[in-house]
Amino acid sequence: MQVKLEKVFPIDGPASNAWKLLQDIPEMASCMPGAEITEQIDDSNYKGKVKVKIGPATAAFNGDIEIKNIDPANHQLTMVGKGTDTKGTSSATMELTATIRDLGDGKCELVGVSEVTVTGKMASFGGRMMTQVSDQILKQFAANFSNKVIAMGDGAEAEAAAAKAAEQPKEVNGLALAWSVIVGFFKSLFGGKSTT
Amino acid sequence: MSSTADTVEREKNLQGIGCSRKRKEDPRFIQGKGNYVDDIKMPGMLFADMVRSPHAHARIKSINKEKALALPGVHAVITAEDLKPLNLHWMPTLAGDVQAVLADEKVVFQQQEVALVVADDRYIAADATELVEVEYEELPPIVDPHKAMDPDAPIIREDLVGKMEGAHSKRLHDNHIFTWEVGQKDETDRVFETAEVTVKQEMTYQRVHPSPLETCGCVASFDKIKGTLTVYITSQAPHVVRTVVSQLSGIPESKVRIISPDIGGGFGNKVGVYPGYVATIVASIVLGRPVKWVEDRIEHLSTTAFARDYHMTGELAADKDGRIKALRVNVLADHGAFDACADPSKFPAGLFHICTGSYDIPTAYARVDGVYTNKAPGGVAYRCSFRVTEAVYLIERMVDVLAQKLNIDKAEIRFRNFIKPEQFPYTSAFGWEYDSGNYHAALKKVLEAVDYEGLRKEQAEKRARGELMGIGIVTFTEIVGAGPSKTCDILGIGMFDSCEIRVHPTGSALARMGTITQGQGHQTTYAQIIASELGIPSEDIQIEEGDTDTAPYGLGTYGSRTTPVGGAATAKAARKIRAKARKIAAHLLEVSEDDLEWDVDRFRVKGSPDQAKTMKEIAWAAYNNVPEGMEPGLEAVEYYDPPNFTYPFGAYVCVVDIDKYTGVTKIRRFYALDDCGTRINPMIIDGQIHGGLTEGFAVAMGQELIYDEGGNILGNSFMDYFLPTAVETPHWETDYTVTPSPHHPLGAKGVAESPHVGSIPTFTAAVVDAFAHLGVTHMNMPHNAFNVWKKIHELGLDKRS
Repeated sequence: MQVKLEKVFPIDGPASNAWKLLQDIPEMASCMPGAEITEQIDDSNYKGKVKVKIGPATAAFNGDIEIKNIDPANHQLTMVGKGTDTKGTSSATMELTATIRDLGDGKCELVGVSEVTVTGKMASFGGRMMTQVSDQILKQFAANFSNKVIAMGDGAEAEAAAAKAAEQPKEVNGLALAWSVIVGFFKSLFGGKSTT
Repeated sequence: MSSTADTVEREKNLQGIGCSRKRKEDPRFIQGKGNYVDDIKMPGMLFADMVRSPHAHARIKSINKEKALALPGVHAVITAEDLKPLNLHWMPTLAGDVQAVLADEKVVFQQQEVALVVADDRYIAADATELVEVEYEELPPIVDPHKAMDPDAPIIREDLVGKMEGAHSKRLHDNHIFTWEVGQKDETDRVFETAEVTVKQEMTYQRVHPSPLETCGCVASFDKIKGTLTVYITSQAPHVVRTVVSQLSGIPESKVRIISPDIGGGFGNKVGVYPGYVATIVASIVLGRPVKWVEDRIEHLSTTAFARDYHMTGELAADKDGRIKALRVNVLADHGAFDACADPSKFPAGLFHICTGSYDIPTAYARVDGVYTNKAPGGVAYRCSFRVTEAVYLIERMVDVLAQKLNIDKAEIRFRNFIKPEQFPYTSAFGWEYDSGNYHAALKKVLEAVDYEGLRKEQAEKRARGELMGIGIVTFTEIVGAGPSKTCDILGIGMFDSCEIRVHPTGSALARMGTITQGQGHQTTYAQIIASELGIPSEDIQIEEGDTDTAPYGLGTYGSRTTPVGGAATAKAARKIRAKARKIAAHLLEVSEDDLEWDVDRFRVKGSPDQAKTMKEIAWAAYNNVPEGMEPGLEAVEYYDPPNFTYPFGAYVCVVDIDKYTGVTKIRRFYALDDCGTRINPMIIDGQIHGGLTEGFAVAMGQELIYDEGGNILGNSFMDYFLPTAVETPHWETDYTVTPSPHHPLGAKGVAESPHVGSIPTFTAAVVDAFAHLGVTHMNMPHNAFNVWKKIHELGLDKRS
């Protein structure tokens, strides 16, 4: 089961800060709800884990992250994450190319192109929802990322953003996620704008 | 003198052949008193659970059992490495291939068995499976059988590299299993070249799964002191399992006891020997304790025998009046990662070459190529006799395609091509000898019953209004009762079956067969056969099956073979007893055997009917007063090797209305006429037909095991896999004609599979017929709302005015 996603998220902060955050792998990874870097092997290899909770069931993925390329001139980073859930019943791979595009005026945007492949039980059960779920995960990621970039600035706004960033859930909550997927689906059905 | 009324009364009391006797099994089933494999409890019993592959195709780099073994309550974690010294890491399949018991270096389909964990209880075993760490290196999978033989296709079966001589033919590619050809190729090609009309249609028969209510499982118990192995198992063929287990383990067959207790449905799924059984047996032998393993629904749908996955191209050559001159068929068969089909050994495509159907087709040729893919192995019947469903689907669809091309009515074209009643016994272009049939009468009866002309008129009016209504007609011929041992064997054992009857001194009887009921009601119907043959009331006859220590050897129950083979064995065993009873009666009445005649439940003296001995009296005498030189007792055993298959047939009509906005198909009417020769229990026949039609409805309208391009199975739970309940199931109307089989002792043919085989193409025919006026000749199953809606959309029919 493979899903390709291309997303653009506006960030209310300067491109230089965003680029700095993007290269700080542990910090960047923590923008992903439920994810953390557990070990740095060398400059480009890390170990990490992600926890997904769907109802009473929790799936924890352990995996390796490899930074394939950092292109400072274009503010572009390419990485591959590979993980297996701790029960050995599913595995996932994500190839991500993230670019920070400077919009001037202290603003920028995060452009993400990713390819997610899921095998095993996760694909059997979650296959139909995967695009929507990945969408939601990326949205939460972008919101956290944006908050962290803003927090790197000064003033009340930065403090508020830092507080928000600290509040983020410790794991991907599948039920809450499912709810936002359903809301998104009905909005698109009745002609409302999709939440992304 | 016995009056007619007296005879009728005595016959009624027997509850013999033709009686709608209530099922003897039901009181225990409806009270929850059945005894299934999962009900078996043994002292000191351990529980097993399976570690399975998340990948469709991957190399196993390492397996670490340490954490699992450290969990309190875990007794063993068994992998291929542990089975290797016993040479049990691979096992033979019924199709001449081998299959990994536990994945050996590689996994080749998702959910493949990798390690068996044995623990104190089911829950600990399940927890421990999550602690077994398996490191995989993923390999590219093949999911589409059309790509299996590409030059650069990844090799699925590394164990077969270089072995190009397959079990059935030369292999053309590392992922090729066999080529199987039948009929006359050159002659068929020649007819096609000169024919007035030819039609060609591609069709895919999707991968489905029988999904019986009870999943597979076993309880294995090895007694180290006695050296005996007892296995309770969900098997449709316990004796074959005993032979296989003995051959695999080296334990003498006399020390292996296989018991099939109550079985919650089989439908072909429980014919094979699965890795879980073998691994569980090994666990019991190694640990010296009973071990139970019962799979869950996901495991069952993902790994046990699927059915079909046949990719067929059919062609017909005909004259302009629609008279068929030749049939040509090419099939690509997806067998999954191991060839574990359950077919008679000589027929890698089963009895697919029954595909000339009910029609007098002079020339035919068929070719089937089997390929490996990274999907679960299997390829069983699913309520049909060895690929007969595929065969009937193909020919019935092709006849419709030809009718549409020539603009001939779909009933009329069948009448023009039917084998005529006077042509029986009829030898088909593929060499089958059809025993009996009357196809014209059957179709005529059905068309009148449904007012076919009226339906076509209504359809024309609806089409004019832009509404979608379809009428499907199918006139199928089945081939059941495998089979004559000159052509049919399983692992070298001829496909006979057996019955042993013992009549006790007080006139009741015990009978045992080599078959095994899975819900068909054998305990009820076998007793009826014996009742009619011996004049002993059905109520006084006990039927036992499924225990290899007591029942005579038989090949089991599948392919509707029980009545054609086991039923014949039963009638013939009973007749042996009656022949002895006749001698005893003559002795008791002091007359010659020739002076006696059989009268329901007794022998009477011809012309002096008051002089008679009832079977009850004869049974008593058999144990104290037999003629001089005769051994006492009243028992018989019969091993019956049938001279031919039986060929039941039927005519079905289905009427559907399709909503052109939602794609929802409503089955308005389904009329099924079946002819299974002599009818032993009409009520059970009706029940079997209702079940078969419902399973046919399931396949045609919703069932599908879907794999994505990565080899992930997407249809392996009841969230996705369609199992119709009373809510979805349409109303069934059943009817019958009786054309006895000339070679069966009772004139009976099999029946349970006919409704499945016959109904599936009827649903497709009805759905396609709704679009036929728009040039649609075929639509692949399942005909769920989404697929039908796509067709409506493609044709632009859903525009609102």
